[in-house]
Amino acid sequence: MDLLIASLPLLGGGVWITLQLAVLAAIVATVLGLTIAFAQLFGGLVLRIVAEAYLYIARGVPLLVLLFAMYYALPYAGIMVEPMSGGVLVIGFYFAAFMADVFRGAMLAVAQGQWEAGRAIGLRTPTILVDIVLPQALRVAGPPYVNTLIMLVKGTSLVSVIGLSDVTFVGRQIIERTLAPFEIFGAVAAVYFVICFALSRCGAYLERRASFVH
Amino acid sequence: MSSEIALIGRIAPVLAEGLYMTLELSVLAIVLSALWAIPVVLTLISPRRPLALVARAYIEVVRNTPVLVQMYFIFFGSSILGYRLTGFVAGLIALTLQNGAYIAEIYRAGIQSVSQRQTESGLAIGLTPREAFWVIVFPQALRKVVPSLANQGVVIIKDTSLVATLSVAELTFEARLLVDRTAAVYEIFLTLALLYMVITGVFSGLMRLVERRLRIVQ
Amino acid sequence: MQPPAASVEIEIRNLSKWYGTHQVLKALSTDVRRSEAVVLIGPSGSGKTTFLRCINLLEPFQEGEIRIGGESMGYQTDATGRRRRRSERDIARLRAKVGMVFQSFNLFPHMTALKNVALGPVRVNGMARREAEELAASLLARVGLADKLDVVPGRLSGGQQQRVAIARALAMSPKAMLFDEVTSALDPELVAEVLDVMRQLREDGMTMVIVTHEMAFARAFANRILFMADGKILEQGPPAELFGDPKTARLQAFLKRFREGHQL
Repeated sequence: MDLLIASLPLLGGGVWITLQLAVLAAIVATVLGLTIAFAQLFGGLVLRIVAEAYLYIARGVPLLVLLFAMYYALPYAGIMVEPMSGGVLVIGFYFAAFMADVFRGAMLAVAQGQWEAGRAIGLRTPTILVDIVLPQALRVAGPPYVNTLIMLVKGTSLVSVIGLSDVTFVGRQIIERTLAPFEIFGAVAAVYFVICFALSRCGAYLERRASFVH
Repeated sequence: MSSEIALIGRIAPVLAEGLYMTLELSVLAIVLSALWAIPVVLTLISPRRPLALVARAYIEVVRNTPVLVQMYFIFFGSSILGYRLTGFVAGLIALTLQNGAYIAEIYRAGIQSVSQRQTESGLAIGLTPREAFWVIVFPQALRKVVPSLANQGVVIIKDTSLVATLSVAELTFEARLLVDRTAAVYEIFLTLALLYMVITGVFSGLMRLVERRLRIVQ
Repeated sequence: MQPPAASVEIEIRNLSKWYGTHQVLKALSTDVRRSEAVVLIGPSGSGKTTFLRCINLLEPFQEGEIRIGGESMGYQTDATGRRRRRSERDIARLRAKVGMVFQSFNLFPHMTALKNVALGPVRVNGMARREAEELAASLLARVGLADKLDVVPGRLSGGQQQRVAIARALAMSPKAMLFDEVTSALDPELVAEVLDVMRQLREDGMTMVIVTHEMAFARAFANRILFMADGKILEQGPPAELFGDPKTARLQAFLKRFREGHQL
């Protein structure tokens, strides 16, 4: 227990790194995911093929492998990436694929009839999109978006393997010196739990809101 | 050209061993998770509230913490307790606990989507409630959730890469070793990525076949 | 056509049921004799379906007694006079003696017609699989579906599914059969094939309790009609009596609305 208290500053530093990673990667993933989703829905053949290939890779290759590839392969090509930026980009790119699925699914879930109704009044695509379809799609996308965020937060723990000092890395460092795995990893787990559980409550709230307004 | 072939000759056997380990771990983790999820979901839907709450708490804890941290917890925790587990076993346990929780939720969704009237028909011909569940409801629930189970299987296969952190000689671990030794960084990582894509692709294809065969005609 | 004064297959005494504080069945009593065809009619909400579902305990009931073949269904009073629910095994055993056919067929979609019918004999009666499948095949032939043995419900028409459902109930060799609005979910041109099977069953001497909206069928088919409203049996008797000379104002109004072609 004293160990835990003594370790708090170190763990706190790790938590800060984890949070930064999560927020930045989430932004990257969301923006990129939206782009890919739009490419799939509205893009020409070339764009669609590129998007599909991207998704196929992200779905088939483990995140850890991608992080290793970044960590080992890029310096080899002469590109020096600091672990933090590299981590944000790789995690962001990886989860962008899941985000794309969420956004595309949400757009498709808005019934075809909404488009038809909009056209029947004489509206053009951008207006229909912004005023009619997107608001409904966003409502549907809420809960799975939050679920993907939870996966992303948990995914940041993998940067510990390439030496970035997130809370998991810090935890492992402390363990190897002091051998108190239950307290330390318990605390580490608790950090993630608090963040993810809070997110999942948001998701549950969004899910309730989504079903009432039908 | 001969240096390329020599390189392949050095890499291939090592990766093959890693591949075998990854496949072994994946199959075990998938089977164990699917089995472990059954008592979990039965507890989860049990009418006895304290039991259901225990299952719910387990699922929430496991779903909101990273599987890597769970692996470290079990691996390092076990040696403190005196039962030193190998990385393989610790990783397998963590994968089973984590994915068992997700699969239990998948089972639950399937079970709840089977209409109450199916149970009534079973009761009407004289089946007990328990028989009606196992013979009528559960088989239908499973058929309905094959796609979700397939997704979870892919997640499991990819998560086996994490046991590399516990020094288990699966694909990712061997690949990293090879990179240190041969400096053929691109080739190795490319191969690694391709191998994983092939494994997950084959698995997904198999599951689609299974889904087609088991599909309930409506 | 009166059946001989045979033994009583189903006895119902003072059956009462509440949903919370609302009483839906009010001290119902009647006997169903062997080979008798009893039809329940009445407006929606009269409790006729609930009554039917109490007979095989798909609905629990708080007061009264139902005896099937002399044995008490669902509950028994122990030595101290307290009413207890019987074991699931006993309840299942009695349920097997009473076949039920549902409005929405409720066939098991993941099994072929043959397996749907054979399931009960194998699982409940412990019959060998081959024997059960032979029995199932003969029953399906009896309802006119000999060529559909290996077809799944999803590929059968509504009328065909309902006939499989009847065969499934018959496979348990029940002493009586309950029919819960079995033609309401069918397209009109498919109704006749189901009613034909029911007529055949009746000729073979099956005891039947039927809930229906089809007044013409009720009139032609029943030995005895029970008119229910607000959870009570208001009138009962042979069809000629009930349809020809309704005594209560409630039944008169009910039949009048029917004659004027209103949906009931």
